[in-house]
Amino acid sequence: MQEAIVNTNRVLTCIQCGKCTGSCPESGKTPFNVRMLMRKRQFRNTIEEFLPWYCTSCGACTIRCPRDVKPSEVIIEIRSGFVENGDIPAAIQKALENTFVQKNPWGRSRAKRGAWVEKLDFEIPHVSETASKRLLFTCCIQAYDPRCMVIPVNVATILNRYGIEFGILGEEEACCGNEIRRIGESGLFEELQEENKTVFKEYGIKEIIALSPHCMNAFKKEYGDMDIKVSHYTELLAPMIKNGTITFNGTYNKKVIYHDPCFLGKQNGIFDEPRDILKTVQGIDFLEFIRSRENSMCCEGGGGRMFFEVETQYKRNSEVRVEDAFQKGAEVIATACPFCVMNLEEKAVEKGLEVKELSEILMEVL
Amino acid sequence: MRTGIFICHCGHNIKHTVDVKRLCEYFSTFPGVVVSKDYPFVCSEPGQDMIQESIKKQGLDRVIIASCTPSLHSELFKDLLKKSDINPFLLRRVSIREHCSWVGDDIEINTEKARRLILAGLYSAAHYIPLEEKVVEVQKSALVIGGGVSGLSAALFLSRMGMQVYLIEKEDELGGHVRTLKNVWPAGRDGKIIIEEMIKDLKGQNNVEIFTSTTITDFEGFFGNYEATLNTPAGEKKLTAGGVIIAIGFSPFDARTKPELHYGEDERIITTLDFEKNGDRLKLPEKPRVAILHCVGSRDEQIGKPYCSRICCVNALRVADAIKTRYRDAYVESFYMDVRAHPRGGEEFFEDTQEKGVLFTRANVAEIIPAPGGITIRGEDTLFGEVFEREFDLVVLSIGMSPPEDSKLIASLLKITLDKDKFFLEAHIKLRPFDTAVKGIFIAGSCSGPKDVEESINHGRASAVKLFGFLNLGYAYVDPFISYVDPKRCSGCRMCEQACVAKAIKYDEIKRVVHVEEAACMGCGLCNATCPSSAIGLKGYMDSMIDDEISAFLEAI
Repeated sequence: MQEAIVNTNRVLTCIQCGKCTGSCPESGKTPFNVRMLMRKRQFRNTIEEFLPWYCTSCGACTIRCPRDVKPSEVIIEIRSGFVENGDIPAAIQKALENTFVQKNPWGRSRAKRGAWVEKLDFEIPHVSETASKRLLFTCCIQAYDPRCMVIPVNVATILNRYGIEFGILGEEEACCGNEIRRIGESGLFEELQEENKTVFKEYGIKEIIALSPHCMNAFKKEYGDMDIKVSHYTELLAPMIKNGTITFNGTYNKKVIYHDPCFLGKQNGIFDEPRDILKTVQGIDFLEFIRSRENSMCCEGGGGRMFFEVETQYKRNSEVRVEDAFQKGAEVIATACPFCVMNLEEKAVEKGLEVKELSEILMEVL
Repeated sequence: MRTGIFICHCGHNIKHTVDVKRLCEYFSTFPGVVVSKDYPFVCSEPGQDMIQESIKKQGLDRVIIASCTPSLHSELFKDLLKKSDINPFLLRRVSIREHCSWVGDDIEINTEKARRLILAGLYSAAHYIPLEEKVVEVQKSALVIGGGVSGLSAALFLSRMGMQVYLIEKEDELGGHVRTLKNVWPAGRDGKIIIEEMIKDLKGQNNVEIFTSTTITDFEGFFGNYEATLNTPAGEKKLTAGGVIIAIGFSPFDARTKPELHYGEDERIITTLDFEKNGDRLKLPEKPRVAILHCVGSRDEQIGKPYCSRICCVNALRVADAIKTRYRDAYVESFYMDVRAHPRGGEEFFEDTQEKGVLFTRANVAEIIPAPGGITIRGEDTLFGEVFEREFDLVVLSIGMSPPEDSKLIASLLKITLDKDKFFLEAHIKLRPFDTAVKGIFIAGSCSGPKDVEESINHGRASAVKLFGFLNLGYAYVDPFISYVDPKRCSGCRMCEQACVAKAIKYDEIKRVVHVEEAACMGCGLCNATCPSSAIGLKGYMDSMIDDEISAFLEAI
């Protein structure tokens, strides 16, 4: 076993202040209580097997914990105990098996991972054939899901139009494992990591442009020192828009509110780039949630929650979020994460709001 | 050479796990060892008498005492040597209690380690030479940096004792934070009045010079003769002082550091300091709902402030009390992790506040959501185990104390150390709580860690008393452990000059060698270790001595 990425011994220093529970997007409306889990962990008490799966890995507890206990990491540790014994929800089990076989949690054919490029009117070279060795990392959900597939298509189109050379890996790309590690299956995570790293090394990759904040987080923080520059695509585009390399022709006359994805914002500090991009678009009336930036509310898509449903019936955060946006008078909720798009859209449509991934807005004004 | 070895039993402490008799016999056979004795308590009066008698009768010129740690009783045994008319620097202490008997129960292993340690001491002591403590002349004057309540009390004490005082203050008026407080714990007096009284007293003294709007730009010299360069409104000024008291106070924690609290974005979210200054002018409804948050900027690893600021619980209680006094029907809820009402009377005040109807909820508030209708506070009541969201009209953040913003600057100018939280570090937390590691430089008040007004005043006075004791005679003894340079070996590379923290190494341009300014040398040994030509030695810690000591311990001799 590889050494744990994050030290979780600090659970013994927990002072039970409740900052984690209060910060948690799940606590209060479900049986989930982070502080109680930490208490039980301190004493190595039995934990009900359904409990740890409420966590969305949004990281709010870990960012705010005054003792730096890193509760979200302790929860991963708790989950790994259940994973080892096989006491896990069937849907989670299925996602793990799928990832093991097809290298994506949805179990789609690995051979079709690069199929999204068919929607393009130009060819993307394999990354090995590029001079810059700059890789556009697709991400599982964006490679297969019809709703999210537009994101790589859009970003690839923009990059291509402005002469940024890049390549893809196609079916050689495997799941980044960000969610797999959070489910508690560190063995499988290491396997995925190994596979990706081997491919990165083989083709001498120098730079990765991640389309999903989840993939970016894994490459930036959990793949060890790869000597590869990793950035989210908004980090790449924001300066180009600022210095005038990218200019917009159209206008977007709508009230747009921006939702910070947890893995882009509070966990990696990328708050301003997406905002800067949106504010540059002509016609946009830019709005902010009260709970924005570090205090953004999780969409409930992380930590394996994309793959299964918890049993408790409660008012989903997506609903709260859409209501907040509605009250602010927004017409469009913009975000920069495929999970957020998927989760927010259903409720938004009911309220007559649109959910747009940032690249979708950009495509309309370019 | 005539060496006496005295091995202490320390009652049962050493004797039970070290075979002292065997050690005595072993060392008695060594050439040059004329006395080898064991004794129940060598620090006791009969024990001291025994040593004194041995020194006189046997004409000892080296004394090795194997007992407790050298940091205990060293002064006592040095005095004993002086009384017995031999140089106190011919004493060697060997720790066979802390380093041997207290470590384990195995008598064989302990005895063997004790034997080797004493052996090392014996070989080392053979190199000892008599040393004389230096006498330096000291200026009977003090530089007090910082004109807050702590600096003022230090300056007042020193000036009353007749010592020349230079008080410098960065701001344009004296008084620091206390000047802005309207209700100083415990008597509830106006801070401004307290300060004005102190200033009046100080200005009545004829031996005080006050410099406001003044910063310190350079600092040199050594104990008894420090030289400071000041940047005053009237231009640059240089002055010399025998000692320094640093009393630069604290910075209030900037609550904007914590984004979930939205401080600075909404005027209904204020700090205890804001309340202290403008509490009277707050516009609140008839039955205000007020939330008070403890531990803002304290006990928080995420912002690098793991310490308890000690003052904020009482501040929070005072705010609660003030609101309840002004609005009897107010709903006041205090959110705490632990209530630590430190000062005397604090716990009783907590009880009073509870009786008045202030509610205490054990919760570290997770976030404040400022909506137009009311400010929502979200957190977990950890005693009920329930997440709550409640609306308030006013939120008061009980902010903690952060290190002073100039702490790094002053530390680098005066070459003193900061602790991990960036407050000034004392030389010893129990035994020398007012001293820094540099002789004659003292710390006072909250710049050495969170303190309330009363403690800051006391701390200032205590440092002043210590400094007065150091300077009052006009001369002082300093340790003779200083560096010396062999000019024949010195190549003039001047690496030692850069290594020296006390600026005691001077370069002779004509002879192209360095020499040591004895009065300035602190005996740290950095030059000694840096010198590539081995031209520098340190009195009392010569290279040959240390080589022999190590070799003896490893039985390589």
